[in-house]
Parts: sequence; C-alpha cells; structure tokens
Amino acid sequence: MNRKYELVYVVSPDATDEQVNELHTQVEGIAQRMGGTIEKTENWGRRRLAYEIGRHKEGTYVLEVIDGSGELMKEIDRRFKVTDLVIRHLVVRIDEVQSVIDRTRTRRSDVSRRRRVARGLPPDRQPGEGQRGEPDDDRDDRFDMGEDMR
Amino acid sequence: MNGRKSFGGGGGGRGRGAQGGAQQGKDGQQRRPMFRRRKVCKFCADKIDDINYKDTRLLMPFVPERAKILPRRISGTCAMHQRKLRTAIMRARQLALIPYTAE
Repeated sequence: MNRKYELVYVVSPDATDEQVNELHTQVEGIAQRMGGTIEKTENWGRRRLAYEIGRHKEGTYVLEVIDGSGELMKEIDRRFKVTDLVIRHLVVRIDEVQSVIDRTRTRRSDVSRRRRVARGLPPDRQPGEGQRGEPDDDRDDRFDMGEDMR
Repeated sequence: MNGRKSFGGGGGGRGRGAQGGAQQGKDGQQRRPMFRRRKVCKFCADKIDDINYKDTRLLMPFVPERAKILPRRISGTCAMHQRKLRTAIMRARQLALIPYTAE
C-alpha cells in the first residue's frame, strides 16, 4: 500500500549545485525502482542553520513529497544516513495528518454555512462583511520558499 | 467564582483544598481592580488547522529567547494545539530550523 511521505534533507554547504541535483536524481531513482513517485520537489536554497551541525553554519534545504511504500522510505533513510553530504534529514508521513486537516476544514465550513443559512444570510461570506478587513488569502504567502528544482 | 482563569498563577485551580477556597474569595476581592485579558488559543482563534514544522514564522513566537517551548499557561494555547505545536517544534529542531537552546 502506498502512502504519502515528506522528506526534507539538509545538504552540506560545500556541495555544488550539481551534487544537490545528483542527490535528487538518486532519490528519484530509488523511488522509481521501488514503485514510488515523487509528487513535488522544492529547493529552499541555502539557509542559516539554527545551530551548528558539525562545523557547518549553513545548509541547502530540499523538500520532496513522495508517494510510496514504507520500504522505499526505509531505503532512502538508510542511504542518507551513510551519505556524508547530507548533514540532516527527516522523513514524515503526511497522508493521515492531511486527511484529518481536510476533514476539520470542511466540517468547519459546513457548520458555518449552516449557521449562516439559519440566520437568513447567504451561505458564503460576502466581500466587505464582518469585522475589519480580514485578508482572504493569508495562508499562502506566509511561507514562500523559492522555486522548484526542476 | 472559581472559574476565573485570568489569574496567571492559578494553574487551573488544581489541588486546592477548602482552605484555598476561603483564601480565594479574599484574593478575588483584592485583585478585582487588576484586569487580565483572557488568553485565547491562537490556533483556535485564527483557525489554523495545520501546525507545520516547516512554517518557522508560525512557530517562532512559541520559542522565546532561551528557545524553550512556551508553556500553555503563558501562551494560552489549548491542549490539542499545544500537543501539535510541540511535535512541530521538535521536528523543526531536528532540521535546525529552530534552535534547541540559545547559547
């Protein structure tokens, strides 16, 4: 059964862009070999580390969203553990959390719609309604990370 | 009343005996002029469902200078969101997005 995972790895600042790309192709290769797919890749670029790792103060962050089996993630984890270029990595399973988030979100909007209808208002919030100017789209710009790797 | 959460050190009024109850009435009278805003969970108020470890801008207010996680009694975060916040902060720390400690 395939699950969705999120993989973030920090590449040593000494690595060149080609080496970072090579790591990405490595991950892609493993994923293909073991029946998984990469859904999204984000390169956050070089960032300051919050604390020193080894002697490094900076690192290149790469995020991959992978659809695959646990075995596949195990293999990637094992590979990264022995790769010196990768100074830190983290694998998190996200499909379950995401479904919970979606459910709470839809439930909340349903409830608010029902309440609004009960009060004799149109189900959706009209522009210019409510207290003060609430930005409609405050979630997306909070965390802009830079462009895709590909 | 007993349910006044606004006293900072109240600790939810746990483990208070009869003696404490008597004292509280007096305290309440003494402290009446002092007004403390009722703390609200930020995540409930802003309807943030997803406390993500990648979102350092969201997490940073909850790790003050010493980089310890801000306790619930100060931030006012509800139990569910404090739990989620904790895992998010711990993950962010692993990736060196947030410090474990300030030197």
